[in-house]
Amino acid sequence: MKIIKRDKLKDLLNSFAKNAQTLAPVKENDTIKFLPWKGQGEIDLSQNALLPPKDLLFPQTEVMYRYTDGGVQGEITDVAAAAERQVIFGIRPCDVRSLTMMDDVFMTKGYEDDYYKSKRENTILISLGCNEPQPTCFCTSMGIDMMEADGADIVMYDLGEKLALEPKTDAGEQLLNDVDVLEDGAAEKPVAKECQLKADAEGLAEKLAQMFHHSYWEDLSRTCIGCGTCTYLCPTCHCFDIRRKNIGEEGFQFRCWDSCMFSEYTRMAGGHNPRPSKKERVRNRFLHKLQYFPERYGKVACVGCGRCVGKCPVNIDITRIIGELREVSVDE
Amino acid sequence: MSNSVAKQLEEHPLVPMVGEVSKIVDETPDVKTFHIYYEQGKPFTPMPGQVAMLSLLSVGEAMFSVRGVDENHLEFSLKKTGILTDALHEIEEGQKVGVRGPYGNGFPIDFCKGKDMLFIGMGIGLAPVRTMIYHCINNREDYGKMQIIYGARSPQDLVFKEDLFENWHKVPNCGVDVTVDRGDDDWDGNVGFVPPFVEGLAPNPENTVAIICGPPIGIKFTLPVLEKLGFTNDQIITTLEMRMKCGIGKCGRCNIGSCYVCLDGPVFSLEQLKVMPDEY
Repeated sequence: MKIIKRDKLKDLLNSFAKNAQTLAPVKENDTIKFLPWKGQGEIDLSQNALLPPKDLLFPQTEVMYRYTDGGVQGEITDVAAAAERQVIFGIRPCDVRSLTMMDDVFMTKGYEDDYYKSKRENTILISLGCNEPQPTCFCTSMGIDMMEADGADIVMYDLGEKLALEPKTDAGEQLLNDVDVLEDGAAEKPVAKECQLKADAEGLAEKLAQMFHHSYWEDLSRTCIGCGTCTYLCPTCHCFDIRRKNIGEEGFQFRCWDSCMFSEYTRMAGGHNPRPSKKERVRNRFLHKLQYFPERYGKVACVGCGRCVGKCPVNIDITRIIGELREVSVDE
Repeated sequence: MSNSVAKQLEEHPLVPMVGEVSKIVDETPDVKTFHIYYEQGKPFTPMPGQVAMLSLLSVGEAMFSVRGVDENHLEFSLKKTGILTDALHEIEEGQKVGVRGPYGNGFPIDFCKGKDMLFIGMGIGLAPVRTMIYHCINNREDYGKMQIIYGARSPQDLVFKEDLFENWHKVPNCGVDVTVDRGDDDWDGNVGFVPPFVEGLAPNPENTVAIICGPPIGIKFTLPVLEKLGFTNDQIITTLEMRMKCGIGKCGRCNIGSCYVCLDGPVFSLEQLKVMPDEY
């Protein structure tokens, strides 16, 4: 185990940043964001970042390839290059868990998405255990240990004046060996305070498989305004659109985040839309998280980070919905 | 497939292979067939029923049924329906287009082997069915009797006329029956919708697989007819359409329940569809 004093944290990040793009939670305009560390800024480890760090592996907008298309002679001129090494410092256990779900989506079931994979394989994760949850947090309901993070290369604990770092992988070990601002030491793992918000999604998928035509979805969709905020903030939401931008005779194909809450998402040429109203879209969002993803990948696609709970403008709270879905009768 | 091409597809499953449109066939006023030529050999050999992403680089890409023609050609038949197909209908021979794939499961060839085959196509829905018809023709000894039933809105809207009225009549033990919703002065064939036409022809369900594609409304009214004739759900195979962006099960939008049409479809038996949510 390695120890660093809190006031030396910038030295540690500076050391990491010499060899790799280093992302750390920095407070900017009253918002905590994962930003590239350039030696300056206010590191804020008091609570999780507003946006999950999924965009570091799956950018909100990402160029896929470039082409020329002058009249009839089109060709692809450049495919996006492989990713550079990056260190994500201070990622919370919930967001680490979400990346294992991203891995399922982008790297299994027959096709590996090379854009994602390249970034993922060049990323080192340093998790930070949560001593104190936010009022909207419910990660422990989703089977997450607030201190530990399966999948992180280094697990970090907040000891107040000090931080303790425990390497979990060879890459993590190597990274810590390469810096000289750490001291060897031992520390007792902090005890996390309990999440106040709870949800029990265990076994819910089987019940939901009987509830596709339930009136619950119609009722729930009346509140939703279809803004898509929940999907953009969600660390497990991975839907994307593929579009292109033409500049004269050149152009590029890019992908960008999309949301199942938007009507255009499933609208086909000719106008047919299998999910034409909010009812079908809200239903799809919750069934995707609670039934379809578990059926496909064996996991509930929610990590209890609470971002959607905190930011939904009409207070749609997935923990309340899980509770209600447990209660309602399948036969209405 | 050459090794370098295979490698590129393996490394970049979302990047198309650019080929040249070597021939465009006007099928109907709003359907054209595009032959795409690859000098180094076609990038993949699709199984019947599989789909591929066809793109005009500066306009967009969309998923269509694809057929492998010979060593160098892929073939798509497209109805003019949206931004991309409108643009594709404007291009001329010599134009470069992109193709990536093949995607999806294709028709259940092993399940169909040794059985009589009933093909029902409606409108442009004949395009995916035709990939299986050609597979059966090219492996004629593996399949029993073939019966092809096709319907279009009008004589003008009949696609693949050369196949319907010449080529397929020469295939041994193969019947072709064509109907149109509305005839014209020159049409001396059957007039009427596909469902009653199928009912009148009364294909025998015994040891038969029915492959049916067409507009949803056509399928909806033909299924009860097949049921009445004695076809069971596992004997009826169809293909689904959904909006797709990636084709490889990542972008999210073509799900029906926990199935992705791009990976687990587009071919489904009626038996499978009965246990899936009816959201397509």
